Amino acid sequence: MGSAIVTKSLTKSYRTRAGQVNVVDALSLEVEEGEIFGFLGPNGAGKTTTIKMLLGIIYPTLGEGYVLGKEIGDIEVHKVISYLPERPYYYEHMTGLELLKFYASLFGIKDEAKCRDLLEKVNLHNDMTKSISQYSKGMQQRVGLAQSLLNDPKLLFLDEPTAGLDPIAHTEIRNLILSFRDEGRTVFISSHELSEVERICDRVAIINHGVIVAQGRLDDLLRGGRIEIIADDVSVALADDLRGKLKDATVSLHEGRLIVDMSEEGDQNAIFDAIRTAKGKVVSIVPRRKRLEDIFVESVKAKKGEVIGGAA
Amino acid sequence: MKAIMAIASTTVGEAIRRRVLLVILLVGLFFVMAAPGLSVLSARQELTVLKSLVLGVIQLTSAVIAIVLTVYMLPNEIERRTIYTILSKPVLRWQFLVGKYLGAVAALGIMMSLMTVVMLLMFVIQVQVRDVNRLSELVQGPAMFFIQMSLLAAVGIFFSTFVSPLVNFFLTGGIYMMGSLFNPMFETMASNPNMSGFAKNAAWLVNAMLPNFADFNIQNRIINPESVIQNPMVHYMNLTVYGLIYIAVLLIAGILVFDRREV
Amino acid sequence: MKGRRNWLIGLLICFIAQGAMHRVAVYPTWKKYDMPKSTGIAVGLDPSQLLAAMAGFRELVAGILWVRADSFFDSGNYDAVLPLIRLVTWLDPHQLDVYATGMWHIGYNFTDEESRSDRRYLPAAIALGKEGAKQNPNTYEMFFETGWLWYHKIDDQYDRAVNYFEEAAKRKDMLQARHNLLANAYQRSGQVDKSLELYYKLFDEAQSRFTKDDVFQARQIRDTIENNLDTLIVRMIQRGYFAQERKDGSFETGPYDVRPPYDVGYSVKLTVEEPKVIRFEGTWNVLPVGTRIRVILKDANFPHSIPGGADWDWGDEIVMDPDANLTYMQDQFYIKNRRFNKKIDMGRDPTIYPFTGDDYIVEYYYNPRSAAAHMQDKFGFNGEGIADSNFLNTEVRPGQRVIFAQMKLTRDQLLRRGKYRDEVPVVMTKNFLQSSTEVSGSDEMIVVPNLRTQEKKPEVKPKTPVNSKPRANPIAG
Repeated sequence: MGSAIVTKSLTKSYRTRAGQVNVVDALSLEVEEGEIFGFLGPNGAGKTTTIKMLLGIIYPTLGEGYVLGKEIGDIEVHKVISYLPERPYYYEHMTGLELLKFYASLFGIKDEAKCRDLLEKVNLHNDMTKSISQYSKGMQQRVGLAQSLLNDPKLLFLDEPTAGLDPIAHTEIRNLILSFRDEGRTVFISSHELSEVERICDRVAIINHGVIVAQGRLDDLLRGGRIEIIADDVSVALADDLRGKLKDATVSLHEGRLIVDMSEEGDQNAIFDAIRTAKGKVVSIVPRRKRLEDIFVESVKAKKGEVIGGAA
Repeated sequence: MKAIMAIASTTVGEAIRRRVLLVILLVGLFFVMAAPGLSVLSARQELTVLKSLVLGVIQLTSAVIAIVLTVYMLPNEIERRTIYTILSKPVLRWQFLVGKYLGAVAALGIMMSLMTVVMLLMFVIQVQVRDVNRLSELVQGPAMFFIQMSLLAAVGIFFSTFVSPLVNFFLTGGIYMMGSLFNPMFETMASNPNMSGFAKNAAWLVNAMLPNFADFNIQNRIINPESVIQNPMVHYMNLTVYGLIYIAVLLIAGILVFDRREV
Repeated sequence: MKGRRNWLIGLLICFIAQGAMHRVAVYPTWKKYDMPKSTGIAVGLDPSQLLAAMAGFRELVAGILWVRADSFFDSGNYDAVLPLIRLVTWLDPHQLDVYATGMWHIGYNFTDEESRSDRRYLPAAIALGKEGAKQNPNTYEMFFETGWLWYHKIDDQYDRAVNYFEEAAKRKDMLQARHNLLANAYQRSGQVDKSLELYYKLFDEAQSRFTKDDVFQARQIRDTIENNLDTLIVRMIQRGYFAQERKDGSFETGPYDVRPPYDVGYSVKLTVEEPKVIRFEGTWNVLPVGTRIRVILKDANFPHSIPGGADWDWGDEIVMDPDANLTYMQDQFYIKNRRFNKKIDMGRDPTIYPFTGDDYIVEYYYNPRSAAAHMQDKFGFNGEGIADSNFLNTEVRPGQRVIFAQMKLTRDQLLRRGKYRDEVPVVMTKNFLQSSTEVSGSDEMIVVPNLRTQEKKPEVKPKTPVNSKPRANPIAG
């Protein structure tokens, strides 16, 4: 499979009174075709700026980027990609159907049936003659998704597709995005909430202050979580034994209840064996995975360390 | 071309629903209809004052509409992020700008036509003007105003590619005033024997460069039908061509700026 | 953007093209037809109006101001109207209505048509009329209106009215009925032959229009002109025009109405009864009613002064505030029973009659051309039938015989100052007899000796029936 998006040291900087600010700093990304790629980062991290550069709406200061094999800004690419901005606003005087027909005409498509089909796909077929001003946020987002499918795109950019939506709308949108992958499309989602993307993304990149701090398969990134093992009827001897064996773990015993908090990578089976041998009873095993916040915090710490280290 | 037309028609749909424009239009229409009540004073030449008032109201209203309509055009698109969904489609920036402009002109045309129709009805019903020639003569005013306002709209669109709406409002209004004023000013300077040759040449240059809105102020000949104009249609044609070329100037300049603009 | 260079080239080409288009094709036409020919500056506009006016809405602002002027007319706030008139004409120099009514209001002082209006405004009115005509050279209106001011308000120097009416008549849009006024002005300026010629021409035109289209209006115009033509011919006969043409001054029925000239026996005495109050008494030996003798009191050094008035055309500048130090009073004596007795009180209008100069002239002036038709039938077009042993004057109006007398007054006399505090100033013509102003009943029954000398046909009435063949030239026939 080829790459849908490739960027090399893509940089966008603005001059402010305080000096030059790199909103996106030497960003290098690679998105495979056919995957759902999550672009994560807190607000103001440079996610939207990156997407705008990839779309050719703004121009990079430095570096290069390719979308579907063409240099960014190439209008030909626009025929096979689509973009759903964050919290978009549509011409409110139009109905859903009119809006779709308007966007279709921008592609030179004159296919009203297709517009209807797409509205049906996003479950708006009963509301397509209502004006957009009467749409709820979720409906607006869905009509946005419908418009983004008009050109049967190979690559979709979805900027915070679930921002400001209620949980039911979340689920609907999520399912739609998953269906895009099933149809063989590449989806590039930006979000500041890990929980949104972790369920659907194949791979993610995490950006903070314009710099990619982590990139890779979600599972890989989240590896390094901890596990809590609780067992009853455990003797003090066993607890002491475990304390001696496990370096990277906290072991506590209270009225015969043992709580072991250990690294995911540690040898859990050995603990289970030890408990069983001592006639103890395992009550629960709770894996506590890494959260986005953890990665952020880690990365920020790491970066600070770098900076401090560099300065020192 | 399809994209341009689609953007234009959407712009029209939006413009004719903008409340502030509708309020301005309604005020204009009100004054057009109320004008006969204001100018009862001069029975001898009632029509002179009436025509000057009505044409003036139409011109003033149209100018305000043209400015208000265009100064917000691009900033609104950017602020509401609608521009992103459009520019991420296979739409070039110049197509977007031209589409927006054509939409603005079409919306202006609709509103000015409405005012013109009301004006004609007012003259037919309230003032009992039945002569088709006189009525068609009256329409020449708004027709030339339309070219003037299209030029004004192009000024507004041009500035809206790089300045904020408020600044643009005064900028476009200022250009309109200068363009309305410079012709007579130039004439005064040119006929002033005390002016230096350099100043005269500079004035000549400015006169050739400015969008000269004064050129389109042809209402005098309509208000005062005694004035005999030779080949008015040729003059109107020239005016239209002049307006169109200047509009092209502003649009190309706007496109060049907008193309580099970070939105 | 690809081809940015091409766009720049396109921009350059269009920019040059628009400039060329403007300078070559648009500007000259604009200059010719649409340029506001402004005169003066926009004094008295409030900033919003000025802004609107400058932004190219001159006509709109002019219209609004003119509407506002109307409310000032209604409320009698004439002082506010004058600057508005100037302003409106500045903003929209094609507002004929404003020029015309403005000129009329200034010239006639808004309300005052007959009596003593402030004539110091006349130069402004005339200048406004001239400017209006200059700004609107394609229409007859302002030429006509300015002519009318000379003809009716100034009522003297009729050649001026003729000039303006002739200019007006050159414009195609002049109403038919107004051409008659040119014919009248011709008569008053002594160009009777031109008047006749014009009536014939107008009659021919009206006749051909009527033949082409037999509508009531065409018939009415034709009939009116025919009637005027007939009347003129009768008057020409009566006033000895054709008799004069015959050199021997006679007519086949004998010497005509204007022969011999009739001595009007003018005499006058003025008494300054109180400061600024003058009583005029005098005689005028003509019984028929309708005689009005013009009386003028003016500064001895009044600008552009001429005997019997002033030349009111002072130039092109419109001065809305006349010189407050000038005094000019004009009024008329109405003759009743061959006498007049009129008290003129100039004390109530100190702004019109400031009396700041030291010397004043009082003039009495009677021009037969201004007289009513029945008087002119005796006195003739140029005063051929008028005489006066003391005051007949053939010089103050060349080619005319007018009655003209002049007296001098000093400021002290007028204001009853110095030695005139107690001594009543009296100035009289040497022929004035106190008794002649005393009326007795029998005086009403005077025999008028000046109607046609009744040698052969005493039964012939002064007014002969109208010739039934108007087109026949009485001289040729």
